[in-house]
Amino acid sequence: MSAARRRAAPPPGSGARGGNGPAAGGPAADAPPFPQAAGPPFLQMGGLRAGYGPARVLHGIDLAVREGEMVAVLGPNGAGKTTLLRALSGMVRGRGSARLRGTEILGRAPEEIARLGVAHVPEGRGTFAPLTVEENLRIGAHLLPRSHVAGQLRRVLSRFPVLQAHLSQPAGSLSGGEQQMLAVGRALMSRPRLLLLDEPSRGLAPLTTRRLFDVLRAVNLHEGVTMIVVEQNAQLALEFAGRALVMESGRLVLAGEAGRLRPGRRVTSAYLGPRR
Amino acid sequence: MADLLLQVVQGLSLGAVYAGLALALVLVHRFTGIVNFAQGELAMLSTYVAWQLLDAGMPFWAAFPVTLAVSVAGGMLVERLVIRRVEGGGELTLVAVTVGLLIFVNAAAGLVWSFAVRSFPNPFPTALGFGSAQSGFSALGVLGVVAVVMLALHVLFRHTGAGLVMRAVVADPVSARLAGIRVGRVLGLGWGLAAGVGAVAGVLVAPLLFLEPNMMGGVLVYALAAAVLGGFRDPVVTVAAGLGLGVAATLAGTYVEFVGADLKVAVPLLVIVTALLLPRRAAETAGQR
Repeated sequence: MSAARRRAAPPPGSGARGGNGPAAGGPAADAPPFPQAAGPPFLQMGGLRAGYGPARVLHGIDLAVREGEMVAVLGPNGAGKTTLLRALSGMVRGRGSARLRGTEILGRAPEEIARLGVAHVPEGRGTFAPLTVEENLRIGAHLLPRSHVAGQLRRVLSRFPVLQAHLSQPAGSLSGGEQQMLAVGRALMSRPRLLLLDEPSRGLAPLTTRRLFDVLRAVNLHEGVTMIVVEQNAQLALEFAGRALVMESGRLVLAGEAGRLRPGRRVTSAYLGPRR
Repeated sequence: MADLLLQVVQGLSLGAVYAGLALALVLVHRFTGIVNFAQGELAMLSTYVAWQLLDAGMPFWAAFPVTLAVSVAGGMLVERLVIRRVEGGGELTLVAVTVGLLIFVNAAAGLVWSFAVRSFPNPFPTALGFGSAQSGFSALGVLGVVAVVMLALHVLFRHTGAGLVMRAVVADPVSARLAGIRVGRVLGLGWGLAAGVGAVAGVLVAPLLFLEPNMMGGVLVYALAAAVLGGFRDPVVTVAAGLGLGVAATLAGTYVEFVGADLKVAVPLLVIVTALLLPRRAAETAGQR
């Protein structure tokens, strides 16, 4: 119940672009009343390491994310981007520290981290294929009080009208783009405070991708949901995100406002690949 | 002719019991991917619980729900204490664990209640007639109870929030955890449900077979056959298969001379082998294409 109450009052959206500055993301209901820039970071990672068995993938990530930010994570395959998200959602065991509003989340089970307001849309969608679209969305609202589910369902469907027509269809029968919308919609059903998205554009047509990112930006701005987006499509990510990080071999090698990291510049092209 | 009809009805009621235990097997398999060879023994244990309650003077229809509740709790406990420790182990590990559980529960029941055969009261009115009419009536009672259990399971899974959560866990446990579902508890609940359904089968079959620690051995073979026919997935096919097996075995035992009462149990074995061979051949031809 308390988690629901905490998330019941989203901070008012502000700022013109995806929350790329101290001004973006209004103060949360329970945040101290001093300016955001001086406040404690929403998500603070310190020396975050993770891996699979003996293979170490993340070699110490230090990063602070402010509330309401939309952060893009870029980098070549094998850089550890997916592992970073998986460590934050508890799917792999992380070491070091990652504090969400001061609460250490490393070492917690995925379901407990989800209860802190973290939603993870993993690579490869992760919808419940045999369940209908509506059932998928209702499962997403598993943590909401029952009386809030119907309203939240309406809100999410208004963001993804394409799902409305398929409500009673099994999720597995949707097209790739629709499934991705459903995966994101399901994550939003939980009213997350932090949304982790792993390559949401993968396998989608350019137009579908753009529509999806439009929705993500709207949710980021209007509901103040903090987002970390791993994305192969660097140009797209830099267009929508406020801040971008570049990872390589399990380390952060570059971070800055997205506007300064436009692909095509010499310094970034090495990491971001040729301009698309 | 009336004799044949009675044989069919009795076959159906035995089949309903097989179907019940088969549903328990399917439940456990859907939830945890395990074929629980100890399912029959857990049902036998439940039946002893019911017997103990009846022995203490409780009326049958009061002892029945208490037995179900104890069985559900017991199933959850087995998942928590035994299965969760070996989860993620290899197939062989899991088979060894459930077979071990089978032997353990069987021996424990023998220790506590001895291997002596006891009679178990028939819960359905038996004073209505005599001979064939009586056994026909109790057969219909068994069928009715199993139908109610099936309906209850259907409503639970299709029309309740808890059922939706369970189906989500079955479909994709990792995504379920990311949605904040405490999957461990749901899996325990699945084992509990299965134990409850198995308990129904045990209590219903006990008056027909007599109560003793080995009573469910034969039933488990039929139930496994029904579950295999349903692909360990489809509840409707599983129940239909259970009913069909009950009738087939009863008729074969009565009318096919060389089968008789002793070879009856070969019927489900034949079905298992055939069912396992058929899809494999289909899969092989599909693979060659």
